[in-house]
This record gives sequence, structure tokens and C-alpha cells, in this order.
Amino acid sequence: MINHRPHKIEYYSNYLYILPAFLFYIIFVLYPLSDTIITSFTEWSGIGEKKWVGLENYKKNLADKKITSSIKHSFILIIFYSFFPIIIGLGIAGIMVRVKVRGIAIYRAILFLPQILSMIVVGIAWRWIYAPKGPLNSGLDFFGLDDISRAWLGSFDYALPFVGLIGTWVMFGFTMILFIAGVQKIPSELYDAAKVDGAGAFAEFFNVTLPGLKGEIIVALVFTVTLALRNFDLIYITTGGGPGTSTMIPSMFIYKKAFQMNQVGSASSLGVMLTLLIFTLISLIIITLREKNET
Amino acid sequence: MKKLFILISALFLTTNVNAETLRILAEAGDEATLTKAAAQFEEANPGVTVEASYLGWDDFMATIKLKLADSNPPDLAHGNQGFTVDGTLIQNDLIIPLDKYADQYGWKNLFADGSLAEFSWSEDGSNWGSGTLYGISPVAEDVIVYYNKDKLSSLGLSVPTNFSEFESALATAESAGELPIILGGADGWPIIHVWGLIEGAFVDPSQTRNWIFDAKGNDYATSSRIQAAEKLEEMAKAGYFGSDSLGIGYDDANAMFIDGDGLFNLTGTWMTAQLNEGMGDNVGAFAMPRSTSGVAGGGSFALPWHISSKSSNPDLAAKFIAHLMSNDFVDDLMQVGRVPAQSPTIDPTSNLQAEVISASNALVSSNAKTFYTDWATPGMYDTVTQELQKLLGGAASAQDFIDAMAAESMN
Repeated sequence: MINHRPHKIEYYSNYLYILPAFLFYIIFVLYPLSDTIITSFTEWSGIGEKKWVGLENYKKNLADKKITSSIKHSFILIIFYSFFPIIIGLGIAGIMVRVKVRGIAIYRAILFLPQILSMIVVGIAWRWIYAPKGPLNSGLDFFGLDDISRAWLGSFDYALPFVGLIGTWVMFGFTMILFIAGVQKIPSELYDAAKVDGAGAFAEFFNVTLPGLKGEIIVALVFTVTLALRNFDLIYITTGGGPGTSTMIPSMFIYKKAFQMNQVGSASSLGVMLTLLIFTLISLIIITLREKNET
Repeated sequence: MKKLFILISALFLTTNVNAETLRILAEAGDEATLTKAAAQFEEANPGVTVEASYLGWDDFMATIKLKLADSNPPDLAHGNQGFTVDGTLIQNDLIIPLDKYADQYGWKNLFADGSLAEFSWSEDGSNWGSGTLYGISPVAEDVIVYYNKDKLSSLGLSVPTNFSEFESALATAESAGELPIILGGADGWPIIHVWGLIEGAFVDPSQTRNWIFDAKGNDYATSSRIQAAEKLEEMAKAGYFGSDSLGIGYDDANAMFIDGDGLFNLTGTWMTAQLNEGMGDNVGAFAMPRSTSGVAGGGSFALPWHISSKSSNPDLAAKFIAHLMSNDFVDDLMQVGRVPAQSPTIDPTSNLQAEVISASNALVSSNAKTFYTDWATPGMYDTVTQELQKLLGGAASAQDFIDAMAAESMN
């Protein structure tokens, strides 16, 4: 007979190790999450009694044109927060594979810098850069482009793309580091073989570098798309959703409903909807790209 | 024996007083005022300690309801006029009626009849504008017109006495290459103040106040208000706010005005001390003249003081409010740069303060203050700031603005 007892003790004690972390997870993630979901079915001013209203908050959100158009803005921001940084990051990684630059670590550190700054700092700095008499307009004026210069963040046409460009600036350092690290794990024989076959820079990039970075691209997409959709601080600091509603995004509505309009139930339902949207989109990205990877 | 009894009871009373601490939570703009008041109050009431803490505007407004709903709330706290803060506090029984104290200390006699309507509610907190008194403030805040004196005289103009003179001053400045009105429209809310002055020039003030107290029950799209919206649209199209106003923040706009940008600055009397410091005798102020006669403008009392329903000593809290409201404190308010709601006894500390007080008195005496548009409904702040930005940026017409505002009034 083998005595199972010591094994069992070991087995249970493993759970003890994760207990502290799991308690934190329950208190700070699972409890707020379930409370938000429950609140999303109620009408609640933030204090006092919650009144059960079923799916009413969800129906109202879907019927609110301001909210649905704010989701459109989020999808435009995905282009700036996700697609542009990935393209720029891939470009830099592709160049660094072929060209050996002296002091490369310094350039990498500088290009990565925006990533470690607080979004509040970034927002305030760019608000100044884009200001009517800020450096961007002064630069344009210096080159005689006075006709182009304007209050960028106060323009109904330009505010959204110009906030988006801040996102590009913040995110490309992250994608770049990710891709440079990824390139280094691609076997150098592949590059040698490509050279033997007479591949030029572009052929080498599309046939060796890009397929080799598929895993990193998925990670970059998941991370940057999530940020584009849940982003709040950058918009709050730079435009507050304006001018008009031209840069409004769902997370701004969540804040406004919960803290300005006494509609915590409605804010919660919008939070749940945004979480579901992010979850669906991320699942789609992972499923489509991973399957292609396996074939 | 009798002596001993008195001695013991006196001892008992003193220790009782000794234990007294008054806890206050205030919006940070009142720090200078309260520091002064607390020192005086502690001196006049031996044994009482005043413990005041402060939060900046955004943090204060986001948390005040939770702070007062807490099991150990401050005795005395600011609220904010309107359904979002004051209405919610009353609906949840978190603050007490002040009628008893108003009678005791004579607060209602200090001001003209109906002046305290913005602090008056039905006891269930559902109707605003009359009924029980729940708050009070010693400070007036008015939205008026500040102007650059050098610019006005070098343009050959004098202080306008009716709205069409104001308009022609704008046109003169514009054609002389001066920015007529400096505006920090990126922040949204400063445009509410501009709108309040234009609305006041055309719409009867009592009509606007009634709409704010009961937005659902009063027609928004009146002919005079449509006229005001069309006037604002016309002013924006004429370039009277410059081409960049939606890209400039409120603080930057005021800094630019101090540096000599803009003939007029349409803002609240809370800016008086800062503008005076930056511009000295080069800045003046007047109440916006109406299109017919008289003056009008946005504005109200400053944030109301409320007594928590859980306060262990509401009488002491009321006594502190009474100190703030007292005639003795009026001059102290002047010294910290605030505009007292009661007439001061000392001379103004600067030329600007004299002009601001005369503008404020003109508004009060004709009962011409129209509060702030965003008080009307919980969602009004968003609607009015967004729609005004659209109107100024040419993304919406005056009619679009009126339609959107009328729709929000029904919420």
C-alpha cells in the first residue's frame, strides 16, 4: 500500500501559496466586477437604494446616438493606437535586422521613453504642443505654412486624429521593443538561406521577419487594441471629449454618468458593454491569427 | 453646598465645551476665507477647535455625496446648487433644514425676497426653487464683463450702456485687428458664462430662473431665447471670439487677457483678485447691459453651506455659518478677494474691486442674476457645453442648439 497522505498535504498546501494573491483578486477584481454587473441592472444615484430596472440601462445605451457614435471614435482610435504603432515597430525592427547602428541601445531607450511616461504627463505636454500658439503652430508658421496652423484640439475635423497621433507616439516604443526582441529569436540560418536565395531587403522582411514575428504581433494587437478601447486619461486631459462630441469615447461616458450625472447604474451597464466589446474583439484577434499560425 | 454644585456644574460645562470639534469639508476656493473665519471663531468660542479640510473642484464634486453618506461625515460641508448634488443630498436625508437657524440669526432679512430660492427645496428634494431652506452662503458670484482699459480708450470707445453699444464695440475691435473677446472654450464650461450673458441680454431673467428650477415644466424654445442663440451664432461667425477659442483652456485664456490679448473677458467675479494682480489699473468691469434696459448676467451665491444630518452638534455648525454670514465678516471677505453678498462697510481694496462690487450690486438690486444653465438637469452640463462648442465652431446652427437644449430639458 502506498500512503497518499503526504501527497495530499502537499497538494492542499499549494493552494495556500496562492491564497494571499487570490484574496486580493477576489477583493479587488471579482467583487467589484460582480458588483458592477449587479448595479448595471439597477437605477442608482451612488447613494441610497438601488432600484431594479432589468435591461433598461442596456436598451437606453444602445438607443443613445451619442454613445454609439463614441464607439465609432474608438474604432478610429484603434488605427492610431494599434495599426500605426505596429507598422512603425515592424519597420524599425526590419531595419535593425539589416543595418548595424553604433549606439543602438541609446536609440532604443529614447524611442521607448514615451511608453514609460504617465499618460497625464503625455496629455499635458501634447496639449501644449498642439496649442494655438504652441510649438507645432510656431513651426508651421516658421516655414511659411500659416494657412495650415490652427487650434488642432479645438477643431471638429482634426481633434480626433491628432489625439490619435499622441497614442501612436506613446505605443510605438512598446511594439518596437517587442518586435526587436522577437527578431532576435528568429534563427539566423533563415536569414542566411534567404540571402543565398538572393532575397532583397523586402523579400527578406516579408518572408522571414514578418512570419517569425506572428506571436509578437498577436501580443501587440491584443495590448494596443485593449488600450484604444478602454483609454480614458489621454482624452480626459487633452480634449475632455470635445469640441462638441467629436472625441467622445465610451469610457468618458462611464465617467460622466457615474460622477457628474448621478447615473451609476447606467454607467455600470456601459462599463459591462465595453468589457464585452473588448473581450469579443480580443478573442476574434487571437482565434483568427492563431489558427493561421498552426496551418 | 450650593456653591459646590455650581462649581461642579461649571466644571462639567467647561469640559463639555472643551471637547467640541467642528469638522468642515470645503471646496478649495474657500481656503483663505475659512482660515480667517476659523481663527476668529476659535477665539470667540474658547474650547472649540475648527478642523477644515479641502478638495479641489473636480475631486470635491465627485466625492461630496459619498463623504456625507459616510457614517462619520463632516459637520459642515459645501454642496452645489442643483439636482445633482443638493437635490440628491436632500432626497437621501443627508443634510438638515436651516429654517430654524435662518430665523434665529436673521439670514432671511439680509437679502431681498426670493433671493434664497436657489437654496430652497421641497422636503423630499424633488422640487427646487421654493420651500425649505437647506443651505446658505455669504459670498456672491456674478458673471460680468472685464475689459482692458487701454484698449477700450485707444479704440475710442467707452463702457457700453446697452447691448447694441457692446456689439458695436466688438465690431470696432474686430476691424481694428484686436481680438474682441478672449474665451477659453476648450474647457467647455467657460462658454456657459458667455451664453449666460447673451441670454441675459435678451431673455427676461425670471423666465430663465424658472426654467432652471423646473426645466420640464417651462418652455425652453421661447422667441427671445432663439433670438439670443442667433445672436451668439452671429457673434461667432463674425470672429468676435477669434478662430482658436475652442483650442484654448480657461486658465490660458485668463493669462492671455492679462498679457494683453482681447478687449473683453466674460467671466465670473472669482477672477477679480487674479486679474487685479496681473493688470492693476488697466482692468475694469461692468455688468452686461441688456438689449432693452438694465443689466443681466449669470451668477448666484457661491457654493452653499450644509449641516450634516449626522452632526453631533448642529447648533455649533449653525453658529459657525452665522459667523460667516455676520456683518462683521463682510469686510474680511473683501480682504480675501471675495465679493460679499451683503454691502461692505470698508472701501474697496482696488479700483477693480470697486467696479466689480458696483456691477454686482446692479445685478442684485434689479434681481437680474440667472444662475448657470447647467443647473437645470443632471445631464445639462454635458449637453450645454457640447452644443455651445458646436455653435461656436460652426458645427451647429442656433436652431440645432435650441432643439438639443429643449430635448435635454425633458430629461
